[in-house]
Amino acid sequence: MSWLGIALIVIGLFFLVVGSIGMLRLPDVFSRAHALSVTDSLGALFVLLGLAVYEGFNTNFLRIIVVLGLIYLLNPVIAHATVRAAYRSGLRPGKGDDQ
Amino acid sequence: MSSFFLFVLTTLTVLMLVYLYRVVRGPTAFDRVLGLNGISTKAIVLLVVIGTTFDRVDMFVDISTGYALLNLVGALAIAKFLEERGEERQ
Amino acid sequence: MRILTAVILFALWLVLSATYDPAHVIVGAVVSALVAWLNPALPHMRRLSWFAALAYQPWLFGRILKSGLHVSRLILDPKLPISPELVRHKTKFTRDGELVALGNSITLTPGTITVEVAPGELVVHAIDEESRKDLLDGSFEAKIAGVFAATEGER
Repeated sequence: MSWLGIALIVIGLFFLVVGSIGMLRLPDVFSRAHALSVTDSLGALFVLLGLAVYEGFNTNFLRIIVVLGLIYLLNPVIAHATVRAAYRSGLRPGKGDDQ
Repeated sequence: MSSFFLFVLTTLTVLMLVYLYRVVRGPTAFDRVLGLNGISTKAIVLLVVIGTTFDRVDMFVDISTGYALLNLVGALAIAKFLEERGEERQ
Repeated sequence: MRILTAVILFALWLVLSATYDPAHVIVGAVVSALVAWLNPALPHMRRLSWFAALAYQPWLFGRILKSGLHVSRLILDPKLPISPELVRHKTKFTRDGELVALGNSITLTPGTITVEVAPGELVVHAIDEESRKDLLDGSFEAKIAGVFAATEGER
């Protein structure tokens, strides 16, 4: 059972690394929000799921699932609020504002 | 087994440094906010990993729940503020 | 409906509190009953069909996994073949419950982010052609219409 958990954690770390690379490479705010969405959705999901499986099926499993649900409810709200603020203050995608 | 968790902890910290680069460098204020959100998500995961390493998941899960909620309030406040003020062009 | 809210809150209390002696459990039961009694039930919760809402989660997870792999491939590609664009997405939903579910699902799926929400129209930022196609085929709308299909006023 612990090997399944470790495999899930490694998959999650892969997605987290991809998200960080995207954060460095993508050209403007809107695209970077996509990189953040990949990281948060998949990386955190797989790492936390792996930790939960590694802990075994007791109350700690349920606690980690609660944190996971919280991340899943809150992260889209934060990403949407940031992108909407950028949109309303006049930024538009496609130009690429990085130097 | 603890060396594997040490590896996970180190990787997460290095990834947080990458996001910190975006926070320091980011051309607009919104890039900085996105970078901070990325850092706080990693911090939530990091806290649960620390809890697993020290066999105290029940305690560290509470801390990371509080961190997630505070992060939501902070991020919404910053987004609201920037939305009303508008972006200062450099 | 309020009894259901109280049961969910009490389950959350039991999961998050690490101690199970009678004093803590009784305090948790009293507090969750009080919170459920003081707060009116959300109007959108009454229209929710619970089975469809549960069946929606694995489907959404499949979508997230599929488009997450696609966006990862885009990011790791040395040429960075993205074509970001804002899309005006017409929808037939006008009520808050459906709009929140739709906007959250779109943002949670990598490759598309909701930028503006208004009744009947969403402004969505899509990162490339394939994400745009995924959005426009309308499968999100069909699923969410099923989730909120329960008749109004049932308790």
